[in-house]
Amino acid sequence: MLQKFLINIDRFSMAVGHAFAWCILILTLGTSYEVFMRYVLNNPTSWAFDMSYILYGGLFIMSGAYALSRNAHVRGDVLFRLLRPRVQATIELVLYFIFFYPGVTALIIAGYGYAHDSFGYREVSVNSPAGVPIWQLKALIPLAGTMLFIQGIAQVIRCILCIQTGRWPRQLHDVEELESVIQHEHEKQAAGEGAQ
Amino acid sequence: MSNPELALVMLSAFIFIILLGFPIAFTLMAMGVMFGYYAYFVPGQEFFDSRVFYLLSQNTFSIMNNDVLTAVPLFLFMGYMIERSNILDRLFYSLQVALRAIPGAMAVAALITCALFATATGIVGAVVTLMGLLAFPAMLKAGYDQKLAAGVICAGGTLGILIPPSIMLIVYGATSAVSVVKLYAAAIVPGFLLAGLYVVYVIVRATINPKLAPKLPKEETDVPWVRVIMLLAQAFVPLAVLILSVLGAILFGLATPSEAAAIGALGAMVLAIVYRAFSWVRLKEAVFLTARTSAMVCWLFVGSWTFSSVFSYLGGEGLIKNFVLSMNLNTTTFLLLSQAIIFLLGWPLEWSEIIIIFVPIFLPLLPHFGVDPMFFGVLVALNLQTSFLTPPMAMSAYYLKGIAPKFVLLWTIFKGCFPFLGMVFVTMFLVYVFPQLVYWLPNVFYGN
Repeated sequence: MLQKFLINIDRFSMAVGHAFAWCILILTLGTSYEVFMRYVLNNPTSWAFDMSYILYGGLFIMSGAYALSRNAHVRGDVLFRLLRPRVQATIELVLYFIFFYPGVTALIIAGYGYAHDSFGYREVSVNSPAGVPIWQLKALIPLAGTMLFIQGIAQVIRCILCIQTGRWPRQLHDVEELESVIQHEHEKQAAGEGAQ
Repeated sequence: MSNPELALVMLSAFIFIILLGFPIAFTLMAMGVMFGYYAYFVPGQEFFDSRVFYLLSQNTFSIMNNDVLTAVPLFLFMGYMIERSNILDRLFYSLQVALRAIPGAMAVAALITCALFATATGIVGAVVTLMGLLAFPAMLKAGYDQKLAAGVICAGGTLGILIPPSIMLIVYGATSAVSVVKLYAAAIVPGFLLAGLYVVYVIVRATINPKLAPKLPKEETDVPWVRVIMLLAQAFVPLAVLILSVLGAILFGLATPSEAAAIGALGAMVLAIVYRAFSWVRLKEAVFLTARTSAMVCWLFVGSWTFSSVFSYLGGEGLIKNFVLSMNLNTTTFLLLSQAIIFLLGWPLEWSEIIIIFVPIFLPLLPHFGVDPMFFGVLVALNLQTSFLTPPMAMSAYYLKGIAPKFVLLWTIFKGCFPFLGMVFVTMFLVYVFPQLVYWLPNVFYGN
């Protein structure tokens, strides 16, 4: 039951992350189109520059919770990885309350005010006369913070479960880096050979 | 406690927390907010009216609309696509038969394959792992020395973060406000110099002691030259053309780094289609991995900018500056000290953390010692090659160990990396003694 709840949070972060991940394809094609228009047709677009950072900004900010759910945020874990899971979970649980929630909560509240002001006058980009709106990009800041907050709840519960059982609970998996896929297969193979 | 003292507490607390292994981006953000609240405290003010909250949103947004960092996901996407385009084995085989006359042909081919593939993808782990499966067993089977074979793959794969177009230099550009275009121009000669030294080293070792790198039996490499050229045209040429056109477009000012990266990503997709490696599943993998890795790099920036603006507001920057200036260093000793610190940081940390968090501490000191931030950036980029090769966090060595046959010991791999570490230091020394290695190309392209 609880396990299912946690996986559903993972699934939610992943769905949002995956949805925004496709920005990269639009960004690739849109920017290529701009280069084509500029050099081949000598007719640069007025919106390409604003489009590029809007897609990039949306892409990374909304993938923050997804990255957290897949443990992709960089950590200095030289010592951490040597510890027993129960010790890891205890440290992490404490640090979530000291070093995760204050920052993320501030991001939600401050980001909300920031986006609210921007929405108040329907802020547009000053980079081109096209008047590309950018208030929606600012509105992503509190949203991204909220996503992190929710994913953080799942991580905190996982820490508590791990302290109780001594094992890290399951997380949702999707794609892996090529090297970890290969390394993993290799380990399995080696284990299989050892068993024979 | 005075404000600068508080800044020192902030920095030392941060270094301690890093070692506890909590995600660094959030640690930086929270510490920035907490110390910032104290620093900007105005009695009688409403809690959420504190300047630190505006600072946090403003910094976050300035990362989101940063046109330099826009190139990061695009280059990542290009890399993940090339990684999935089935080009690597063709590339290695074509170079191996093309270079068969050279002593240590297989190791040289492995080095060039690693360097080219790593330059195109910019993802060290994948290169080392893939080559560890492909070239490493082949070299061992041919009777190559384990240490030499291991060093070649680890050091060759790591070149990808140095030789332009590399993501590391974009990140340095965003941190230091040096133009990425100039950084690319500056890093080309030192990058090729290092790669060239690696190749020369392998050839010299193989010539002095042919037992380290025995020649393959003739029947295995006996391929007619027409066929060799065909093979090269199929694998080597397309990838080289892709890299050169991306780099050329940037250097000749035809496109910004982000635009060139987009074209590169499009080219990578075309390449995958041509090699019949393009599929819906692989595209999805590349897209999702791009999102995750971009989030990792860019959230680190969000945290770091918040942290460092509070840190310098508290006077931490000034304190460090005064401390370093009081040490009576000259330019040489300052460079030695700063590079030694970066080298040591590379033991436990990865390049992204070092460039985004620690390099900014040195940047304000550069004008005092008359060091050009572009020149410094090239030295840092060279230096960070070592962070993949030095224990305890020698990522390249671990990737190779993970897939190598059991009888290859981790210690053997480390020992194999040492000579290559030496060559990184030699290159840094050469760059220091002959700064023209850095300045020549930027001067050719952009004048003084």
